[in-house]
Amino acid sequence: MGSYHLGRHLKILEFALSSMLRRRTKNLGLVLVFAALVFLLSSIVFLTGALRTEALATLEASPQLLVQRAMAGRHALIPLDYGELIARLPGVGSVTPRYWGYYYDIYTGANYTLLGIGDQGLESPGSTPLRLVEGSFIMPGQRRVCLIGEGVARVRGTRIGGMVSLRDARGWMQEYEVIGLFASPSRLLTNDLILLPEADLKAHFGMPDDRATDLMVEVYNPHEVDNISRKILERLPDARPISHAEIQRTYETLFNWRGGLLLAMFLGAMAAFMILAWDKATGLSADERREIGILKAIGWETSDILELKLWEGAALALVAFLAGVTAGYAHVQRFGSELLMPVLEGWSTLFPAIDLAPQLDPYALGVLFSLTVVPYIVATVVPSWKAAITDPDRVMRAS
Amino acid sequence: MSREMITLENVTRVYNQGRPNEVRPVDEVSLDIGHGEILVLKGPSGSGKTSLLALIGCMIRPTSGRILVAGRDVAKLPERFLTGVRRDTFGFVFQQLHLIPGISVLENVMLPLYPLEIGFTAAKRRALELIEQLGLAHRKGFKVEALSGGERQRVAIARALINAPQAILADEPTAHLDAGLSGELMQIFETLRGQGKTVVIATHDPLVHDSPLIDRVATMRDGRILDGDG
Ligand SMILES: Nc1ncnc2c1ncn2[C@@H]1O[C@H](COP(=O)(O)OP(=O)(O)O)[C@@H](O)[C@H]1O
Ligand SMILES: [Mg+2]
Repeated sequence: MGSYHLGRHLKILEFALSSMLRRRTKNLGLVLVFAALVFLLSSIVFLTGALRTEALATLEASPQLLVQRAMAGRHALIPLDYGELIARLPGVGSVTPRYWGYYYDIYTGANYTLLGIGDQGLESPGSTPLRLVEGSFIMPGQRRVCLIGEGVARVRGTRIGGMVSLRDARGWMQEYEVIGLFASPSRLLTNDLILLPEADLKAHFGMPDDRATDLMVEVYNPHEVDNISRKILERLPDARPISHAEIQRTYETLFNWRGGLLLAMFLGAMAAFMILAWDKATGLSADERREIGILKAIGWETSDILELKLWEGAALALVAFLAGVTAGYAHVQRFGSELLMPVLEGWSTLFPAIDLAPQLDPYALGVLFSLTVVPYIVATVVPSWKAAITDPDRVMRAS
Repeated sequence: MSREMITLENVTRVYNQGRPNEVRPVDEVSLDIGHGEILVLKGPSGSGKTSLLALIGCMIRPTSGRILVAGRDVAKLPERFLTGVRRDTFGFVFQQLHLIPGISVLENVMLPLYPLEIGFTAAKRRALELIEQLGLAHRKGFKVEALSGGERQRVAIARALINAPQAILADEPTAHLDAGLSGELMQIFETLRGQGKTVVIATHDPLVHDSPLIDRVATMRDGRILDGDG
């Protein structure tokens, strides 16, 4: 019994597929248009997902309160004395200096971020969001070694045991042995990153001993961050405290603005899709109508015809959806979302190099699926149903 | 249960009732159709033959009157059951044949079985048997548009027979055939009668209604039956 029942559906499915092949020109056209739209929509979904993930990861890695020093409106090295003063403020836990800077590599045209790791950081590597994928961490006291992000390794064509040479502040080439490769949840965060022992980094940039790039300030009670920022500004007028919340606001503003543009594109694409679906809904050819009549007359029930059309619509929509999503994924991943870049230009002010990890967000994919596949299937089934509920005797008279 | 296979009692079909364009293609028709007979519905164009065939074959319902199939009144059956009765009892050969172009003879013949609970292999075996019987074995893989008129007619008959119906209803089956092919077609119908099937043919072709192979003629005019059946 059960297998007979399955046989029934299989035969209808078989006929659905053979019918689609029979009208292959029309169906191929539909698949192409459908897939192109899903491609565009999924590129947007993947891209926003990727950007949001990047931003969140960056945010998680940023401290409660960061103190920089501004001179003539620009970021300048901050005296370590400032740190001692800040550490004495009530409510402040530890103050940790950070040593980092940018490095422009004239050979590859890439910008790297060099970050120094002090002995303190080395003792608790777990406190950074970085994760070693290969090799080992820098040991306290170790010199002339480095850890690099996967992006740097790729651009430089280096692996563990290889050398990275960087021109220092005096113009001399310095070589550092690669002892580890790392990754992090965010590619933006680590892609261009080179980690050096703190002493090597200071020497590289020629930083005075009593200065750091900025200070990370631990605040016991997150509610007091603003209060502490104010106290720091009172005592150190050239300091620039940046709270976690401020960074978050910056991201959110950016996202709202970008998101709005993306939303507009998304809606545009949806509108195009609806037009396609509508066209399909109203465009049951005389040929298809006739065929439905014949099936009805030779004993197919309305529900059988609905099943046939459901299979047809589902097969076409699934093929197109999968093709579109796959292409969208590859597009965002491999081609840096070139097509969408004009809309997103300006990200570089925040993120120097974009090499995105598209997010396979099941929720977003589900939304995309229900916004494309479902209306398409409904649009194909409804007119067929209308054609199928007419009296079967019509074909006895039709010429 | 009646000895007759199909009985019509005062069957009327009205279209556009109460409006100026009201028509009664079938008007107070009573008719008994027995098992294993060849009955011809004869009459000029517009006399209601196709409509009567559609009523006999449960394609449409009567506006009034009763239609008994194997003793059971089908006039008020819900759509699903009516389709079931039609599928199990009747095989139609339409005037325009209505084969589906682009698919093979075999697929066309199998098509009525697709929504039924029968496996693909069994369905195919049954279709091949019929194709063989009707002398189309060498054409089974051909697309129907590549066949001659006579061959197409036989494909339509094979499709009508696939459900093993008790009755074959054919509407103007010789309309597109020459005298020779019409003769062959009558032979096929005779063979079917030999297998115990009832054959009802609507036609205005003298080659059919004057053929010695038929059992009975009912003449129609303006939706009524003039003579023949009592
Ligand atoms: N669905 C319908 N709506 C309106 N008129 C119809 C319909 N079906 C048949 N008729 C009319 O009924 C009459 C009989 O038609 P038909 O049964 O096709 O006769 P025949 O097959 O003998 O030519 C014709 O006048 C036809 O126009
Ligand atoms: Mg007719």
